[in-house]
Formats: sequence, structure tokens, C-alpha cells
Amino acid sequence: MKRVIIIGGGVAGMQTALRLAEEGVEPLIVEKEAELGGKLRGWHRLFPSFTPASEVLGELRSRVARRGIEVMTSTEVKAVEAGAVTLVDGRRIEGDAVTICSGFDLFDARIKEEYGYGIYDNVFTSVDIERMLNEGRVARADGSRPRRIAFLHCVGSRDEKVCQRHCSRVCCVTGVKQAMEMKELFPEADVFNFYMDIRMFGPGYEEMYREAQQRYNIHFVRGRISEAAPTIDGRVQIKAEDTLTGRPLRMSVDMLVLLVGMRAGETNPAYEAAGLGRLESGFMAPRDSFLGNVRSRTEGIFYAGTVTAPKNIGETINEGCAAADAVLEYLKKS
Amino acid sequence: MSFYAPFCLPFIIGAVVMFATILWKWGSWLYRLPHADKMRILRGLPTTRTLSAAWEVVRESLLHRRIFRVNPLLGYMHMSLAFGWFLLIAVGWIETVAYLGFRFVPLQGHVFFKYFATGLEHKPVFDFLMDLLLLFVLSGVALAWGKRLYSRAMGMRRTTKHVLGDRIALSALWFIFPARLVAESLTCALYGGGGFLTGSIGAWMAGHIDAGVLIYLESAAWWIYSSCLGLFFVALPFSRYMHIFTEIPLIFLRHYGLRSSEKESAYDHFQIEACSRCGICIDPCQLQSVLQINDVQSVYFLRDRRYHSLRLQTADNCLMCGRCAERCPVGIDLNTLRLNSRDTMRNVPDEKRYDYLQGVDRSSGTGKVGYFAGCMTLLTPRILLAMERIFKASGEEVWWADKEGGVCCGRPLMLSGETDSALKMIQYNTELFRKHGITTLVTSCPICLRVFREEYRLDGIEVLHHSEYLLRLMRSGRLNVTHGAERFTYHDPCELGRGSGIYDEPRAVIEAIGELLEPAETREHALCCGSSVANTAISDGQQLQLARSVAAELDATGASTIVTACPLCKKAIARGTQTEVRDLAEIVAEHLQ
Repeated sequence: MKRVIIIGGGVAGMQTALRLAEEGVEPLIVEKEAELGGKLRGWHRLFPSFTPASEVLGELRSRVARRGIEVMTSTEVKAVEAGAVTLVDGRRIEGDAVTICSGFDLFDARIKEEYGYGIYDNVFTSVDIERMLNEGRVARADGSRPRRIAFLHCVGSRDEKVCQRHCSRVCCVTGVKQAMEMKELFPEADVFNFYMDIRMFGPGYEEMYREAQQRYNIHFVRGRISEAAPTIDGRVQIKAEDTLTGRPLRMSVDMLVLLVGMRAGETNPAYEAAGLGRLESGFMAPRDSFLGNVRSRTEGIFYAGTVTAPKNIGETINEGCAAADAVLEYLKKS
Repeated sequence: MSFYAPFCLPFIIGAVVMFATILWKWGSWLYRLPHADKMRILRGLPTTRTLSAAWEVVRESLLHRRIFRVNPLLGYMHMSLAFGWFLLIAVGWIETVAYLGFRFVPLQGHVFFKYFATGLEHKPVFDFLMDLLLLFVLSGVALAWGKRLYSRAMGMRRTTKHVLGDRIALSALWFIFPARLVAESLTCALYGGGGFLTGSIGAWMAGHIDAGVLIYLESAAWWIYSSCLGLFFVALPFSRYMHIFTEIPLIFLRHYGLRSSEKESAYDHFQIEACSRCGICIDPCQLQSVLQINDVQSVYFLRDRRYHSLRLQTADNCLMCGRCAERCPVGIDLNTLRLNSRDTMRNVPDEKRYDYLQGVDRSSGTGKVGYFAGCMTLLTPRILLAMERIFKASGEEVWWADKEGGVCCGRPLMLSGETDSALKMIQYNTELFRKHGITTLVTSCPICLRVFREEYRLDGIEVLHHSEYLLRLMRSGRLNVTHGAERFTYHDPCELGRGSGIYDEPRAVIEAIGELLEPAETREHALCCGSSVANTAISDGQQLQLARSVAAELDATGASTIVTACPLCKKAIARGTQTEVRDLAEIVAEHLQ
């Protein structure tokens, strides 16, 4: 039986493995964390349907378990080549093909020092909000309920100053989703979203955005926040410009939420060293954007998921299938 | 004895044109000087400054001491040409006096003395001396030829790309001395005499060439020599060689206290035309070494400004880091000249835009010490918080000028040429500082520091950079830090180091906390972080390239933390490295006892 090594056990990796297993190929998932699931483990509910992330994650994990797919957890890959990977501990695993599903990293909001993440209380990232929602307790640092919340879009996306020119795509809708969740938790609070553009690309997203404005009364202000500063009473004062009215504005908020973008995975340079192409954004370059979008430059190495670009979960699942099909085609020929 | 021959004509015309042009240029520049500058000259003339200026002229215009510091061979080349030629003229004059006593000899009589003096009895001492000096100059010419082929031997990776006029003048200059050697040797061949050089070559020629031919050759050689001189002299006032004469009045005017300012003035001409286009400013320019931008360096900026072909893109494309000015052998105030060009090209104040300044006062706290964070510190709040902790630990009562947001210090506007708009900020902040009665003004931003010190009238208020202030607190025992084994490296911000001359204070503060490792290029030679607010022409990607190259040098020290003392440098360098980049205040606040 042919064996395919899958680097990364997130959504893309699990879906690729499942599809390969269905077709009678033996996948091996190599996951650096202690369990499968990737970033999905940290999310609370998924846009646009507010489906609990645990539902999707649980289903994928149980399918993997039912299929008896071999998984190596807490195992990190150091180098990749066509038909084999080398682990950090020096071991070499051989197979007939490799699929890279190592995903993305989150932008470190501390780099945008002017927003005060990690410096002031009550500045959070979208990831913190998901975590707090999962913990069942969303509150300010002193435990009190927020009365005014500001979301800032595009933190670490479309920002030349931090070398992140690309759009991370999913933060816009995440910002809308979390704003709605906040409004549900704190109906009395005012919620503001500061944005450059609102990019509602997926099915149901635009409707969600409309609902957020009409039914939830969430305020959308076009303009980036330039800086944040703490006030004496522990709130955060933000300075921004409403670019639609052309007016500078400053307001104090109880919580500032930074919608952090997707950065190219930190293992991507190692793939590049193996001769694989990398985009200027740092994500891996597929052979082309169309018929070769899950193939790498090297025969026998494939991509699925956010290792090549920011994607949502649905797109990632589709790519898992597409990558598996491409692998199967390759295995038949070889 | 007559001192005229037809071949003298090119030389005479050249000399007349040259001196007339130079006198006209100097005269009109001096005439157009502002009244205050004229008074400075008048007051300075009868003082010892005149003597020290004269001494500097000897050192720099003749001996070229500052070029020796760049590279000894390059220094020798310039000295042999300048000092050698000067000695040829001076000793030549003494020679005429020795032969003829004190009597009027026209200029061409001195210059072409060998041609006219064939009937006189030879004085071997002068023959020897003049040949020695000619050899001295010729060695310089040979080096200049060699420099064209291989400039690295003289410590220059890149040399100036010259315009046509300069090339003509340069070629004329290169041929003057070889032509003189040939002409004098031919005269010696016909009439005897001459020293070890011209005499020997002349004797060899006499033995090998027919006398009839020699007569023709001699006449032709003197024509060529005179023509080279004439061509060079005509070209001189319009080419780079104007520096030969302009550097002299420049040195005097500088000693009398004349300076360029953010507005163009007639004095600028003395600086601009004193540029010899040696190109020493090209190598230190990071726009050149990292970004391969080859047409904006000071030498090209001054050239374009002199010939009225300066474009805003050229004026704008400069980090104003001052690395070139540090190396300029003529000591031209390159940054200020660029600033006032920008002022001329862009200063269009918007009268209404700054109406909001009226009545704004968001300052807080009270104290004799004022703290001005500046825009960039507000964007790097870790520095602000660190200063807060430090003030608290030292028990200082502080008036916070702009913690809740304030008005810009004005330097970024000034750097972009919007001088009059900047003055509005300057006036606003000055009044604000006065109103709150502070006696000390501390800022953690070297960009603000520079404008406070240079443009604000803050008599009675001591302006300190936080590095100076921190050291003062530590030395007076008001602030105690713990010393550990941590290894730091320090990046000199341009505005703090070359701009304000503050190098030692931040180093002393770091050494009180841990070990300090110096990068390869440091202090006066430190690199610019690349994000300078003075450059509005390069792209963000290019700024990043510069940041990476600087960060690589800092990382090469092996330090675990890169320390700097400018919020802008901090932000810039952090983009180019994985190593931690901290402000001086941050490491002090972390190591408080």
C-alpha cells in the first residue's frame, strides 16, 4: 500500500488524510502539537452560521480515529523532500508522496506597539476573545462588564509597516461575528468596528454584515485607529480618523479588540530551502493559481489549506479533497 | 627683454576670463549676503579669526589634511596637485626675481619663464627645484589617471559620474603638466640648461631629433601647453574646479560665523561651488550601498542645484543621516543646503490648516521638569511607560506636555521643507512650555530634541535628551540600577549622534546595566536605521531593506538586546531582526533597584 506523509494535523491535514484513506492509500499525519485540530481548537463558534467549532473539530477527529489513520503527535518536521521528511529529532520518514498542510501563524499584535497589546490592560486580540468565549467568561481585566467595545480590523494585514501586505480575508467577518457575540453578551454596550474596507467574500457573510448593522446596531467606522493610550480609570483611549466624514476622533473604550491577521507559517522558509517556491507574502507558492493550485513546484509534494494563502475553513476542507485527488493521480502514475 | 609670444594668447585670454568670472561671482555673492552676515564679516576681519582661517586655508586648500584622513594615497594625490602647483607658481615667481630682480613681469612672463629666459645665465638651483616640483605634480597626475582605472586603491568604491563640462576641464588639467614637461624639455634641447628632468630629456631629444624639427616641435609644445592652461582656466569657474578658489573665501566666511540656514541665502553659493565633486560622499551613502540609488548623493545634489537643474525627487531622496557630511573634506553643510532647497521648492504654508492649534492644551501634571514624548514615543508606548516608572522611582515631579496627545515638535515639517508651517508648531509649543513654567525639558525623541535645541528659543529652559537626563539621575544617586551580565549593543540614532553630538551618555547608561558591544560602524560612522522622516522618496520596502542591513550589523555583535535611544529607530530596526530591540529608557526601567 502506498504511504503519504501529511505535515500538519489541522483541518487541511485531517481532510486530506481522510480522503486518501477512503481511496485506499495509507496516510500518516505528522503533527507538532500534542493533539489534532490546529488553530480550530482555539475557536469558539464559526462564521457565518455560528456553528460551534467543537462540532466541526469533533467530527473530523472522530472520522480520523474511525479510519484508523496513523498520527504522530508532538512531532516536528525539520526538512522536506519528495517522498520523505526529516524530523527535528533526526529521524527520517519515507513515503510515496508528501502533502504540506502546516497552515499559518497568527500575527503577533505586540509588534504594533502603538495599540498597546501586552502593555495596557483591556487590549485584546480576536484570539483572546475566542478563548474567553470558550472559557465562558468575557470581561475586562478587572472583571467588570464592558460598556463600550472597539474592534480594529486589519491588525497585521494589508500593513506595509509590519511587512504584511496581504489581506488575511477572514478577519473582517470574524470582526463582525465577534461584534455580534459581544452585543449578545452585553446588549447595553456600544460596539464599534474600525475598518479600511469590509471584505465580505463568502456566502452569507454580506447578510451577516447587514444584520450586524440593522439588528445589532453595531457601528462601523471607516478609518484605522492610529494609537491607543491608557486612561487613569483603566480604559483605553483611541485616536482614529473617520475617513468618510474626514474628522479625527478620539474615544475611550472599555475593551479594544485587535483583529489579528494570518502570517505565513514559520516553517515555510524550511520548505523554501528544499527548493519549493515561496510568495512575497511568505506563503508557499503553488504551481499555479488554477489547475495546479494544490501542487508544488516539485513532483510528489502537494499543498492543502492556509500554507499557500489565507483561507476560511470551508475552502480549506475543499482543498484537502483537491490535494488528495492530486496525490492519488500522482501515485497512479508513479 | 620682451615677455610676449603669440602662443601666450590662449593662456592670457583664459586667465582674464577666469579672474573676471571669479571676481564677478564672489562680488555678487558677497553683495547679496544678508546685512547681518556682512556685519559678521566686518566684525571678524580684524580679529584672530582671520589668522586661524588663513591657517586652515593652508591646511585644507593646499595640504588637504582631511582627505588624508579618508585615504593617504588620495590625500597625497590632491596635495601634490594643489600644493605642488602652488609651489610651482610661488617658486617660479622667486625664480624670476632671482634672475631679473624686482621689476614688473607680466603674468605670462612668470608662467612661461623657461621660454623667455633662454638668453640668461642658468641658475642650476632653480632648475633643480622647478623640476622637482614638476615631478611632484606629475606624480599626482599619474595617480589621478590611475584612480580612473582603479579607485579602490584610494579607498573609494565608487567615484563621481562627471558631466561633460567637468570632463573637458579634467582632460585639460591632466594634460597641462605633461605638456609643460615636454615644452620645457624641448626648450632645453634647443638652448641647453634645465634640471635633472627637463635637462636630461632635453639632452636626449637634442641627440636624437634633428634641430630643424626641434624648432617646430618647441613652438607646437608651448602652444599646446598654453592652450591647455587657457582651456582649463575658461572652464574653471563653470566646472567643479571652481572649488579651488571658492574654498578659500568659504573658510574665511565660516570663521567669521556665517552659516547656511533653512532659507536659501547668498552664502550658500560659497558652499555649493566649494564642492570639488570628489565623490567621497558617495560611498557612505546607504541609499547607494544598500538600495543602489546612484543619482541623489550630495555631490549630485550640489551639482544639480548649482546648474539650476535640481528636481524635487533628488532633493527629497536623502535620509539626512549626515554620514556624507561627516566625511566631506570641504566641510560643506550638506543637510542644511538640502533643507533650504526643499524649503524653496515646497514651502507653501496652509494658513487655515493649523487653526486648531489655538487654545489647545492637553498637558497634565505639574513640575519644574517637563516631559515631551513626541509623536513617535506615543506610538511606542513602552518607552512612555518606562519614562513614567523612571520619573516615579526618582521622585521627579513631572509636567507631561503631550501624554494625552499634543502638537508635533515641527521637525518633520521642517525636514520636508515646510518651514513656515513648522514655525507655527514651534511657536505653539514654545508658548506651551513657557506657560507651564518648566525649567528643564526632557524628551525621549532625538528628532524633537534637535528642533528644540536648534530652532526653539527656550532661554531659561534646559533641553535634555532622556539619555542625558537618565545619566544625570543615575550619577546624582536618584536612580539606582542593577548591573548584570546581559550583553547589549547600541545603535546611534542619526539625530542624536551626528545631529546633536550625544554619543557617550547612552553608552554610559548601558554600561551601568550590562556589557556594551559596539557594532562595526559606530558613533560618527553609525548607520541610519532607514526610516528617517527626512526621506519621503523611498518606499516602505526600501526602508525595510535598509533596516535589515543595519540590523544585520547590530546582530553580528552577538548581543542579546539591541538598544537605541530613538523611538523611530526602535520601530525601524525591530522590523529587520528577530532580536529584541529596546529603548534606553526601557532597559533602565527594567533594571531599577
